[in-house]
Amino acid sequence: MADAIVLDKVTRSFGEHVAVRDFDLVVPRGKLYGFIGPNGAGKTTTIRMVMSILFPDRGRIEVLGHASALEAKDQIGYLPEERGVYKKMRVGSFLTYIARLKGVDGARLGQRVQEWLAKVELPDVAGKRCEELSKGMQQKIQFITAVIHEPELLILDEPFSGLDPVNMRLVRELILDQHRRGATIIFSTHVMSQAEQICDHVVMIHKGAKQLDDTVRNIRARFDPRTILFEPLDPAASLAPIEALPAVRAVTQVAGVSEVSVRDGVDPASAMQAVAAAVPPARLELRRPTLEDVFVQIVTDQEGEASGLRAVLRADAAVGAQA
Amino acid sequence: MTKMLHVALREFLATVATKGFLIGMLAPPIMIGLMSVLMPRLMKNDAPKIQGEVAVADPTGAIVGRLETYLSPEAIAERRDALRRRAEAQTPEALRKAAQSAGAPEVSQALDAVLGEVPILRVVPLPGEETLEAAKDVLRKGEVDDGGRLAVVSVHGDAVTRPEDARAFGTYDLYVREKLDDRIEDEIHDGLREALVDARVEAQGLDRDQIEAVTRVPRVRSITVTEGGEKKTNQVLNLLLPVGFMGLLLISVMTGGQYLLTTTIEEKSSRIVEVLLSAVSPMQLMTGKILGQMAVGFLILGLYAGMGVLALLSFAMLGVLDLSLLLYLGLFYVLAYFLVASFMAAVGAAVNEMREAQTLMTPAMIVIMVPWLLWMPITRDPNGTFAVVTSLVPPINTFVMMLRLTSTTPPPAWQVWLSIAISVVSVYVALRVAAKIFRIGLLMFGKAPNFATMLRWVKMA
Repeated sequence: MADAIVLDKVTRSFGEHVAVRDFDLVVPRGKLYGFIGPNGAGKTTTIRMVMSILFPDRGRIEVLGHASALEAKDQIGYLPEERGVYKKMRVGSFLTYIARLKGVDGARLGQRVQEWLAKVELPDVAGKRCEELSKGMQQKIQFITAVIHEPELLILDEPFSGLDPVNMRLVRELILDQHRRGATIIFSTHVMSQAEQICDHVVMIHKGAKQLDDTVRNIRARFDPRTILFEPLDPAASLAPIEALPAVRAVTQVAGVSEVSVRDGVDPASAMQAVAAAVPPARLELRRPTLEDVFVQIVTDQEGEASGLRAVLRADAAVGAQA
Repeated sequence: MTKMLHVALREFLATVATKGFLIGMLAPPIMIGLMSVLMPRLMKNDAPKIQGEVAVADPTGAIVGRLETYLSPEAIAERRDALRRRAEAQTPEALRKAAQSAGAPEVSQALDAVLGEVPILRVVPLPGEETLEAAKDVLRKGEVDDGGRLAVVSVHGDAVTRPEDARAFGTYDLYVREKLDDRIEDEIHDGLREALVDARVEAQGLDRDQIEAVTRVPRVRSITVTEGGEKKTNQVLNLLLPVGFMGLLLISVMTGGQYLLTTTIEEKSSRIVEVLLSAVSPMQLMTGKILGQMAVGFLILGLYAGMGVLALLSFAMLGVLDLSLLLYLGLFYVLAYFLVASFMAAVGAAVNEMREAQTLMTPAMIVIMVPWLLWMPITRDPNGTFAVVTSLVPPINTFVMMLRLTSTTPPPAWQVWLSIAISVVSVYVALRVAAKIFRIGLLMFGKAPNFATMLRWVKMA
């Protein structure tokens, strides 16, 4: 069977600005892929091109074996980043309408709408007008519009934005349900921890170009950990002996925990022994690299501006979590 | 195809199944209906029976008796009878029957309602000892309906006979009580005029009947001569029919177009459009929306045209309406609507909110209003150069052609079909252009575009 998505040297510019540059990607069927990168990296443009809402200047796109998503619209579920509802329409008729547009029909449609409303824990809203719902409730209604026709391919652009932690968990479970059903899923987010939680494969985008395209496990293995988390047994103990160690490059305080970064070329295991010997630890662990760390490292290797970039990412993530 | 129809259906229902639409559409006919039922009643209530005295200071001695005869209730009733008979004679036979079968009041009753009850007026000569000032004082006291004095007339001394060197006769002064019904005042004026003329004619020793016969030339109704025969000219209808048809066309086209603009902007500004575009193509979306609103316009057109036909039918005047005109109305509606709708769809997709649309709409509205402003010259001279040219220039050709078709001298068939052909071509071009702007505009947010930007999008797509 053909791959769910194939992008071959896809480029798209808006005027002078190149939004996506020479993008290659193959997403096999049944996988759960995460598109990550900061705001403005080119995620939405790429997704819109996959959806044939925008068209690439150069390059080839194949979706579910078709030359364009237009030929497979009914097998694709899409939750755009910019999404809304008909304010005056009733929730039930809105979902029925969208389902009909997606080719779902027949007597069971009403029942299916009800089932989905129950799944997102909004069983009583079918008769309400969309404008009467809160923003978070509308988000869940919009999620239903993407999945109500049980698509083979599900593309979710920032599916968690605007959800509180409880609903975020609910939507995450629903996405994983779709994955278990066998759907191919691509979702984009600028909050990298979200991708880390559910993806088996991550595609990292920065400034319109693909930086990384691998499984989460491989990424972690490839980027060996170089940070030791350390808390002294005696909270008042001085950390100067650790800073003096030849294996240690620097010690930084992050939220009450000391992050000890290991000098390049030094084996982390021996560095840990040295740290434990220098100051008695209450906690000592080798931190596995987060996607954020990996991302920062990749970009820093290219551009050498780690702290600024990390600040940008953290600010984005904070906004994402609050929204 | 089915998707497009789903879009059209939603568009239609979302527009029509709202309170605002129903009220807006049904209000005008209901208002007209209410007015036609209520107005006669209101007017009837407004005209109570009037009773009172008209005091006349008459130095000539020739006026009081004549005025008394003229204003006697029997004479007034008789004049009204004559008026009623004339009105009935002028009403077409069919209309009378239709009105009777519809339970409408008879012409005479309607006339009674307008004229009010016959007043009872006593004409009394002003006693010699009562001065004019004292007589007028009575008018200041009391009320108009207490049966007292209503008016004081002071006839001039030279009103019936004039001195040798005077060119004109004298006349009279009329003093009336406050709030006196103007119909009563008219009766008094008419009576005085009649009495003065009669007295003067007699004083000169002339024959009144002869003078009247010599000066009478009744105005006749003209007869329109056409290939199909001769018919009585109905000037009012000749002017109203074209403007009625064009008005219908304009209202239905603009209503559908306006709703299309509003819903497109709503879909774009509420960011629902990308959800829709994941299910349907921009072309399907646009076509569905245009068709849905076309049905809305057709509903309005059908309802109002149907009411118009019913009204004509009830007055048995359907004959003035060539039924092929209704077919043309439908055809021109479709053509005019598609042209306006493609413009509205393009503008709606290009802008972010209604306010931005207004700037783009203004020039278009002015163009659409041109035939409306020019309906008089065009209906007066429906085959003049101006009318012929404007009836071939899109986007107003459909409206002007509708005016010409409903005028007294319809245009030659080739011009009608040429105009239709021109419309078909311009609709095709407009839809193509609109589709490009629609596709690009829907996902463009930010600065409000102007026509130049939209043109660039057309070239881009």
